[in-house]
Formats: sequence, structure tokens, C-alpha cells
Amino acid sequence: MRGIRAWSQSWTLTRRLATSATPKKSDIFIVGGGPAGLTLAAAIKTSPYLSSLSTTLVDAGDLKGRTAQFYNEPPEKFTNRVISLTSQSKKFLQERVGVSLMEDRMQAFDGLYVSDGCSDAQLEMERDSMGYMVEILNLQSSVLKRLSDLQAPNLELIDQTKVLEIKSKDPTDPQSWLTVSLSNGEVYETRLLVGCDGFNSPVRKFSKIESRGWFYNRFGVVATMKLDFPPFKVRGWQRFLPTGPIAHLPLPNDNATLVWSTTEPLSRLLLALDPEQFVLLVNAAFVLDDVDMQYYYKQLERGTITTAELKEDITHRTELRYGKLENDSMIDEIYPPIVSEIDGKSRARFPLKLSHADSYVADRIALVGDAAHTTHPLAGQGLNMGQGDVESLVKVLENASQRGLDLGSLLALEPYWADRYPYNNMLLGVVDKLHKIYSTDFAPIVAARSLGLKAIQGLGPIKDFMMARVSGPGR
Amino acid sequence: MSQAMWRLARRNYTKFNPDLLKPTRNLQFDNSDVRLSTSASPDEISHFKDLAPSWWDVWGPQRILHKMNLARMDFIQKILSEQLRASSETYVPGFNFKAFLPPQISGLVEQELRQDIRAQLFQQNLKVLDIGCGGGILAESLARLPFVSKVDGIDLTAECIEIAKSHAQKDPALSGKLNYEVLPLEEVVGTYNLVTCMEMLEHVDQPSEILRHAWGKLGKGGILILSTINRDPISWFTTIFMAEQVLKLVPRGTHNVSKYINSEDIKQWFEVECRGQHHILDTKGAMYLPLTGWVAHEHHNIGNYFMAIKKI
Repeated sequence: MRGIRAWSQSWTLTRRLATSATPKKSDIFIVGGGPAGLTLAAAIKTSPYLSSLSTTLVDAGDLKGRTAQFYNEPPEKFTNRVISLTSQSKKFLQERVGVSLMEDRMQAFDGLYVSDGCSDAQLEMERDSMGYMVEILNLQSSVLKRLSDLQAPNLELIDQTKVLEIKSKDPTDPQSWLTVSLSNGEVYETRLLVGCDGFNSPVRKFSKIESRGWFYNRFGVVATMKLDFPPFKVRGWQRFLPTGPIAHLPLPNDNATLVWSTTEPLSRLLLALDPEQFVLLVNAAFVLDDVDMQYYYKQLERGTITTAELKEDITHRTELRYGKLENDSMIDEIYPPIVSEIDGKSRARFPLKLSHADSYVADRIALVGDAAHTTHPLAGQGLNMGQGDVESLVKVLENASQRGLDLGSLLALEPYWADRYPYNNMLLGVVDKLHKIYSTDFAPIVAARSLGLKAIQGLGPIKDFMMARVSGPGR
Repeated sequence: MSQAMWRLARRNYTKFNPDLLKPTRNLQFDNSDVRLSTSASPDEISHFKDLAPSWWDVWGPQRILHKMNLARMDFIQKILSEQLRASSETYVPGFNFKAFLPPQISGLVEQELRQDIRAQLFQQNLKVLDIGCGGGILAESLARLPFVSKVDGIDLTAECIEIAKSHAQKDPALSGKLNYEVLPLEEVVGTYNLVTCMEMLEHVDQPSEILRHAWGKLGKGGILILSTINRDPISWFTTIFMAEQVLKLVPRGTHNVSKYINSEDIKQWFEVECRGQHHILDTKGAMYLPLTGWVAHEHHNIGNYFMAIKKI
């Protein structure tokens, strides 16, 4: 048996060698066609200094088919992977890269209402078009549209293909070009390999750059929701429950999207629930106390409560809450619009973690986006950090090409890391601390964090500064 | 008291050394060992021979030179761009538009101007001679520029030329654009649009001969770019005391303060030797800030400096 396996391995090896007689040369080779990789390709092709460089992008997914199709024939329903795009990222995409996003499928929001699930502390941030909720497929397909409109002569987009192997052309020389073998039999030699290949980045593994971090033991549950009626105030709602923050974010008209960070067992429960029960829980999570929620979780897990009973209990307790308010108009002020139904199939979960690579650059290698850092979604910064990386890397490459540097050399790439690492590190740290402060119901900490939140709510300049960090400088 | 000492020190260091820029007259040519007037001393050649293997290690002994190359390239880009004027299609207001127009509009004007200049620059096909190219740090950078069609790099240390040649082979973008040779300046034939002589005058015995021959290799309208070090106590402090002895950023024995040349001496030399045929385009001081790298400044009489001279 072992003999056969060894034989078949050597057979595939010879076959690969036979088809890969002449490696193609590419100045820049991008691994990964996610938002970061695609934006990078488009930013290079729209740069007056870099557009003449031969660029190759490879992705395992069906970019040219399914992803590109999204732009021409968008589905009626909203997809579940929605991100918040800061005005800074949007400006870069639209003005610098020339991407026209599908405006009718994205929603600008004018503020965020953040509340504490263990106290009555709240923070209200208001600013016109503070950010935009955009489906990842909208972003990807819009950038793909831009790339195909550009008709760049020396851009190659290879989809449904995996990277099999990366190695140095000359193993004794770390500065030699890299050889990338693909699953379609092609072999490329590249001056600069850019890893936009996500958390488990093979490029980062090849580069031997250490990535540090930890899992939060929390999962993000996403879902696409329908509201009772289009919201009166278009803003994002976030409530910090001890199990993790739940965020209710607007999409056009009566649509909204959910990111509910919670513990592993609860995330499984939320995915398994009847959609109707799920809707009831989402509505309850923004209004009721954690004790109530824990009671419902337990009952639902054991199957000792029917949907009708759950509905009755939640309605009753919610009414009690409403009754304590000064007047009914406050309901719209402090609680998000009521969810009427969810698209049951749109529910999905993903593990939450923090990771940060020690460096983003090595000889002939640059890491961008999730390959370099991943963060908890509570501040909606993950994708924007990636867009910021792309903007910085392209500027650094432009500068290096004006100075006639080899774009894959450390000398050319170092400024990119120096520019991005401190900012990303700060953001990762802040988000991590927020997660830690809010994942407890220990009374003194709840009191301290509530005091902090109230202080920020009362201090305009600090609030403005925070908003500027989240959504880019004010206008 | 201290002022008097300072004056004395300064006079000693900045006193014009007439031997340096003087044309050579009494050179003895020995038939067996032909030492040309532009050659470097054997000490210098052997010093650079020792450095050759680590030349391209950007974290090695030449790191500071790699960093300096960034500032030199910025200076060359700036000089070349300044030689170009906006074409008639590009509207440039005849007043200080940056001060009077709103930032959005003046930004657009500037952007259009930059595009125009870049387009004109990219149409050029410059031939460049890099004198004292060493391992080819500057020569490679120049050869990668889209508007440079050919770079010839010459040096007297054969080991450096070997390193330069083998390093250039690693980048296919350089093939056919870059030639290296162990060749004295006198023996170079042909004329060039750009002649560079960077971090080199302070390593030769007869800088005036280098200047004379380098000038001769320029076609009309060509530009000579120099980069060297003023002969003053600050230069001694930065390039020898700090860089070589304290911080060890530069290999010991690289510099010798008596070989440094003041920017004013060079200007004076051109005034005397090339009266009416030259135009000094710009002179910029350069200094190294440990966290930032090399930055250009206006005080070209102190420390390192870059100079661009155009042949008219």
C-alpha cells in the first residue's frame, strides 16, 4: 500500500515537472482574491507608477463566475457576509481605485447606539454617513468589474486554482525571486509575493513570520434579517452582553444584518433554533436582562419551552420594560427596530480570534489584511484595516518604484510595515480590551465600565476622537 | 576662549587644501604600473574589496549607503523633473495658485501638472554613467527607472564590479540596460545625458581630474550629479566619530577627513574651469536621522551634500 502511494506521488511529481517547463514571470503575485487582494490588484493597475508591472492574482474560489456575476445579476435577498466600510476606505476605493460600488445594495448609517447589557449605561455616537454597511460580495464584484473595465494588458486573474508550493528560486539566496507552483500546472516566478490569503495564510507560513494571538472562545453568528418597518433612524445598534456583543446593523429599506458574538455552545444553539425562535431571541437580547436571556437559552436547550410560550414570555417582559420608560417615543430612541423574520439559511457562525504577525514584510514577501492581523468584529474594523494596508502598501510601492528600488527588497517594503504595524496594533489592542472589559458581569467592573461609557457620552471631544478613529477624519 | 578654539578648529578643518582641486602636473608615469590621474589609491581599492561581499546585505555594513541611496534617488528625480516645463495644454495659473485657490482646485491643478511632467519624463531615454559604482546600488536603481535606457557603471575595485554584475543578473528587468566594467574614467568613450559621481570624490587622490573627465563625458544639456562631504568639524563628527567609531554604522577606515571637499570649492572650481558653460541647478545638504533615514536640507555647507550641475 505504501509502495503504491509513493509511486503515485512520484508520478504526480514528474507530471507536474513536465508541464512546468517554462515558469512565467510576474512582478507582483497576489495570493487570495478577497477584498484585500482584489483591491490591491486594482490599486496597482490604476497607479501611474505601477500599472506597467505584470501582476498575477490567484484565488481558489470562482471569482470570474459566481463572484463577478453578483454585479450583473444581484440576488434579491441580501447575503450574510456584511461589513462596515469606513468613509476613509470608501473614499480610497471610489476616488483612488475608481471602483463604483452597487450603491443600491449598501446602506449609510448616521450613528451608533452602544449599550451595556448589565447596566443602563449607553453611548450615542451621531454623525452623518459615519460608515456604510456593504456586502462583501458587493465589494468583491465591484472591484472585479473595475478590473475587467480597465482591460489591463499585463494583469492575470487565475481563479479556481490553488497554490501548491512556494519556494525560493535559489534556496541559498534569501533575496532570490520566489517560485510559485499552482494546481493548474502553471509555475510563476515573482519579484514580490503578496499574501492576502487570510488567517491561515500559506504565504505567511512560508515566510516564517511568526503570528501571535489567541482565540476568544467566542463565535460570531451572522444572519440577514427583515424588519417590521424601515427604521426611523438609520443607525447601528450594539449591546454588550456578558456572552459577547450583539450588533444589529442597517441594510437598505427594511433589511438589516446581525453579528452576534457569543459562546461556542450558544452559537450552536442559535444556529439550530427554529428561525422564529431566533427572531424572538434577537429582539429580546436588546431589551431584556442577561438573567432572562440565560433562562431562555436554558429552556431552549432542554426543549422545555414552546415557541408560543417563549413569545408570550418575551412580549410580557418587553412590555414591562417599555412601561418603565418616560414615554413611548423613547422606544425608538434606545431600542433597535423590531425584527420580523430572518432568512433561516443565512445563519452562519465563525470563530473569533486575535492574531498579529510580528512583521508584515520579509525578503520578497508582503502580508496584507487577515494574513497579517485578525480582530474581534465588535468595532467593525477588520476589513478596513485590510483596506488601509492596501492603501499604504501601494503608496510604498509607488515611492519605491520612483526610487528605482527592487519592489521585493526589504528596503522597499520596510516602510509599509513601519506605517501600518503601530496603527493596527493599537486598534487590535483597543478591541481586545473592550472585549475583555465587557465579557464579565462582575459588579465592580460593570460599575467601572458604565462610568467610563457615561463619561465618554458626556465628553464631546473624546467622543469625536473615537468616531474619527472608527470612521475616518470628520468633514 | 572657547570661541577662539572653535575658530581655530574650524580654520584648520575648512582651510582650502589647494592640492585637492589642483590639476595634476607633475605626475610621474611609470611604464610598468600605469597610474592614471583619476585612479584611487591602492588603500582605497583594497578597503572596498573587503566590503564587496556584504555590499547588497541591506542590514549589513552598507545599510546606511542603501538608505542614502533613497535620498540620492529623490534628489535626482527632483532635478530631472525640474528641467521640464508644463506643456501648453496643461493650464497652470500665472499666480500663486496654492495660496489663492481652494485646496480641492489647487490640488487638481498640481495633480495635472505632475501628470504632465511625468508623461514628459517617461518619454526620455537617458544614458547614464555612474562613476565609482561600487556594488551597483545607485546604478541598479537608475537602470530601473523607465526613462533611463542605459546605465554604464565603472569602478576600479574588480571585486565590487563582480558583485555588481552577479547581483544585476538576479533581476530580469535590468538585462540589457546595465553594464559594469573595471575601467578608469579616462578610458570611457561616448557621451551621456547624466553622469553621477556619488560618495566617490572623497575617496580619490585627484578629485579635480575626476570632475574634469566627468564633465567631458556629458553631452550638451547633460547633468552632472555629485554627492560628497564638506571638510568641516561637523563632517568629522558625523561621518567619522559617530558613524565609524561610536555607532559603527559605517565600516572603520571608510572616510578620511583630509579628502573631503567643500561644496564652495567645487563651485569655485567650476567658476574657474567651466566659466559660462555650467549652471548649478541645486545644492542640498543631507543628514542622517536614525529613525527617519536621510533627509535633504538647505545647509549645503555642512556635512554631506548633493549637487547638480548642468552643462550649457
